[in-house]
Amino acid sequence: MGAVKTFTRRAFLVGSVAIAGGVAFGTYLVRRDPANPLADDLAADEATFNPWVKIGKDAITLITPHVDLGQGSAHAQAILIAEEMDLEPGQYRTSFGQPSPAYWNTALAAESAPFRQTDTSFPAQAARQAIGALGKVLGLQVTGGSSTMPDSYQKLREAGAVARETLKKAASVETGIPVDKLATRAGAVVLPDGTELAYTSLAEAAARIEPARDVPLRDPSTYRLIGKPTQRADIVAKSTGTLDYGIDLSIDAMVHAAVRMSPRRSPVERHDAEAALAMRGVQGVYEVTNGLAVVADNTWRAMKAAAALDVTWAPAPYPAEQADHWAEVEASFTEDRLDQEWRNDGDVTAATGDVVEAEYRCPYAAHQPLEPINAIVRVTDDTVEVWSSHQMPRFLQQQVAGVTGHDADAVIFHNQYGGGSFGHRLEFDNITLAAEIANQMRGTPVKLTFSREEDFAQDYVRQIGMARGSARVRDGKVDAVDLQVATVSASTSQFGRLGMAMPGPDAQIVAGAWNAPYAIPSFRVRGYRVPELAPSSSWRSVGAVTSGFFMESFLDEAIHAAGADPLEERLRLSDWDVSRKVLEAVGEMSDWGSDLGPNRGRGLAMVESFGVPTAEVVEVTATERGIRIDKVFVAADVGRVVDPINFENHMQGGVVWGLGHAMNAEITYRDGMPEQLNYHAHEGMRLYQCPEIEVRGLENNDVVKGIGEPPTPPAAPALANAIFAATGKRLRSMPFHSQIDFV
Amino acid sequence: MKLTVNGQAHEVDVEDDMPLLWLLRDELGVTGVKYGCGIAQCGACTVHVDGMAVRSCQVPAAAVDGAEVTTIEGLGTPDALHAVQAAWIDQQVAQCGYCQSGQIMQAADLLDRIPDPTDEEIDRAMSGNLCRCGTYPRIRAAVKLAATKLQEA
Amino acid sequence: MKRYLTALTLAVAMLTTPVLAEGEHGLTVTAPDPVNVSRSAGLAAWDRLHEVFVHPRCANCHVDAEGVPMWTGPSYGAPGPHGMAIVAGESRIGAETLPCQTCHVTSTQPNTVAHAAPHTGMEWQLAPVEFQWVGKSPQDICAQVRDPDRNGGRDGAGLVEHILHDAAETGFITWGFNPGGGREPAPGDLQSHLDDTIAWVAAGMPCPEDGQ
Repeated sequence: MGAVKTFTRRAFLVGSVAIAGGVAFGTYLVRRDPANPLADDLAADEATFNPWVKIGKDAITLITPHVDLGQGSAHAQAILIAEEMDLEPGQYRTSFGQPSPAYWNTALAAESAPFRQTDTSFPAQAARQAIGALGKVLGLQVTGGSSTMPDSYQKLREAGAVARETLKKAASVETGIPVDKLATRAGAVVLPDGTELAYTSLAEAAARIEPARDVPLRDPSTYRLIGKPTQRADIVAKSTGTLDYGIDLSIDAMVHAAVRMSPRRSPVERHDAEAALAMRGVQGVYEVTNGLAVVADNTWRAMKAAAALDVTWAPAPYPAEQADHWAEVEASFTEDRLDQEWRNDGDVTAATGDVVEAEYRCPYAAHQPLEPINAIVRVTDDTVEVWSSHQMPRFLQQQVAGVTGHDADAVIFHNQYGGGSFGHRLEFDNITLAAEIANQMRGTPVKLTFSREEDFAQDYVRQIGMARGSARVRDGKVDAVDLQVATVSASTSQFGRLGMAMPGPDAQIVAGAWNAPYAIPSFRVRGYRVPELAPSSSWRSVGAVTSGFFMESFLDEAIHAAGADPLEERLRLSDWDVSRKVLEAVGEMSDWGSDLGPNRGRGLAMVESFGVPTAEVVEVTATERGIRIDKVFVAADVGRVVDPINFENHMQGGVVWGLGHAMNAEITYRDGMPEQLNYHAHEGMRLYQCPEIEVRGLENNDVVKGIGEPPTPPAAPALANAIFAATGKRLRSMPFHSQIDFV
Repeated sequence: MKLTVNGQAHEVDVEDDMPLLWLLRDELGVTGVKYGCGIAQCGACTVHVDGMAVRSCQVPAAAVDGAEVTTIEGLGTPDALHAVQAAWIDQQVAQCGYCQSGQIMQAADLLDRIPDPTDEEIDRAMSGNLCRCGTYPRIRAAVKLAATKLQEA
Repeated sequence: MKRYLTALTLAVAMLTTPVLAEGEHGLTVTAPDPVNVSRSAGLAAWDRLHEVFVHPRCANCHVDAEGVPMWTGPSYGAPGPHGMAIVAGESRIGAETLPCQTCHVTSTQPNTVAHAAPHTGMEWQLAPVEFQWVGKSPQDICAQVRDPDRNGGRDGAGLVEHILHDAAETGFITWGFNPGGGREPAPGDLQSHLDDTIAWVAAGMPCPEDGQ
């Protein structure tokens, strides 16, 4: 390790440096950027090329710093590098790497600039750049906000191209054959006579030369991997039970911990651990923030003993009863809670015509990915090691350091494949609690596994919110829409827990509404900030799931009141060619306008979120026993579909997520505690309720965007609009199953 | 107590009421079987006991004394896939993949009993297995593909 | 009436010894005092039995030929169809698609985990369709229970034996009064249910609006 430590940023700037028999490439990107973190952790026979490529004598490792929580990001990031580097799937392995500012997210922060996607004006672009630069300065390594592809598409192809050209240069030096006579194919440089020199055999030679610069990227028409169906790197392991998630890991001499946390997020007032301590396998009970931890020799024994703890909790720091949460939301449509007037086209106050008014509600909901949150932490006097799956590795280091008193740099984080997230693994409780326990038993690795019930109780919920809409319709057209949205600010709640203030208005309160790509003659959207209630967090698609529902439900009501066709009127109002084509696509796919027969209905919604306009048509049948969802057509434009199979899977999954929670899921509070603590009470969708889902990806957008979140927001309004079409009944609050049965 | 897991005999000393799930995961280190809910709501822990699919979180250790248990690891391996696993790979079902061990074990049980299931039979047999990522359309397709392959075999 | 009493006495003579010898549930079978074996006492006993039968804890599995079990509880609200699209089918054990035993294992271990799939010492199943209680009137249910063609060929003594056998196996009746996991039990307890059954049988198994 000594030699490796000398591999400094300065050395890296010079170009490529031989390390322990290998090579490091500098790319022009890397030279401008923070030091290559791979250099800090090289084995004797390994070499690193740039923050994303590492080659040993026997293996090529591609670093995919966006953690894979099921969104296929490891595979998708890798094929961006492999495409330009001429690697075939199977010739490399992937790793999530160590936390590093080198992996700052170039897309996420810029996405939060408060300008519509259609706005390419100087102020909009300047703001995006300025906010984006903040991400670099902060070294913001984040997986989230559907930003993996926008962040990676350019830079990972460049990383691959630089590696490829440098390896060719090295082969040229070795063989004396000019670079322009060399080709690359399947992990090797190919000489004119057909001889293949494996990349792994060229690493050491490449270390002695200046890396290639200003490498042109390939013509997309020649792509072998990008845009083509490929087999996901993790698919075999995930189909054979051989992929280790964080919850599956085992460290020598590890103990198992379970927590009993305050369901009110409040301190322990009194506890009695006697019964728990007497149980088989229990080694100790420890105090942690707002709860107690049991350490045992087995997960089940720890959980069982945790349940046997007798604890009294202090009152909740938020209203105890759900009705009081709603009352606070209802009371938030006031001048002093006005967060921002986000859009004010025309003059809604001067509009005339028939009035349409409606009120909508969106309840709290939980994330609850299927792998319960967990972490293994080992604290020694010098370092802290953490094994878990997390979306913000560098914040994780800081959070852990805050618990143990180490420097953040002394926190070594082994990021893992996650069993789902949907925003859940942006939070830190499992990590910091495991660190709190492990810090009380330094030297011993502690594996903390949340029970499902604890996971539900400690989930930071989706924002609660309401909207009030007032519209004017005239001459068969929607003439004015005035939408007021009041929600708690999930972003403020979330970053507040990290000690960060979120200055300025929160665009997420009205995301999916204020940016609706419609030229309604008079169109106003105002966001109201409900004071913090139950602490909330980013939930797949964040603000767009609430305001997308409000906007697209209300617009549908206005269109019906005008006597117009939901698709035709949306097309007429569209002011963005990209979103118009998405609408046209679902119209064509669903044969919009054709007769569905009795008791059936079609509903349409289109929401732009994370830069991706996504339209959905839902078809339902009103059966004697309830609503059956027959079919969904969904089209979205991400600019470029990098991985078409994953794209389709995600579009389907996002629709299922959106529909399932709209139908079946809410979190409510009673006596300060969430009432839903397992899947029987917060089910989402099951297979029997899942419709056929037909997917289309469009590529008219001139920027590359992600698909993790955008399919979710239109699902709920499209379903509600379809149920209206079939039954005449408007569903204005989720979950719909409280008002209508589903089969 | 004694039990056989994926063909290998084991003797363990655990409480009568320790769920088979935790016996497998924490006592025997068989981690392909997943903990999701602990109350038979998600199906991630599905294994075969004496040839029948069960939620291992509900099976007390006392009930599997002398039993033959098969987990996803025993159904097939990356080098020797079971037809259902092969279909899951062909259809690229998994997203996060955490529920898929259970889905595959349930589907294998279904196809054992009903070689050519109808859409309705698939819905009924597979709706106890929760997938939070929403891979249901692909699960349906993979079950049908596996049925076809198994019948050809 | 005498006929029933004789049968019951016989049954008690035959059954008490072996059953109580095994009886972990401490049930006591007491021959009724002939003085109290009136029709009105029998009807009062029936009312209590009926209250048990139609309690969701018991009735949820006594459903019609479609074979969709009901479930209920604090978090499910009023009784409604069992989630997950469960259908127990003509087999009444789910053999057609998803056997009940996939989740409801057979075990005499206590039910301790809230909301877990409950289990008993008997294989989980729906009651025979002839024994549908959901949606049936008290008269219908009463007629069913005393009809050997529909109650599994049981006479009065057989009905008493049914409860004792269930107790010995930690079966469904026993579970209904002690469902565990925070579930609301059926009204009364197993002993009172047994006593009521004996009283009703001894009274000639009277049904509401009978013999008018």
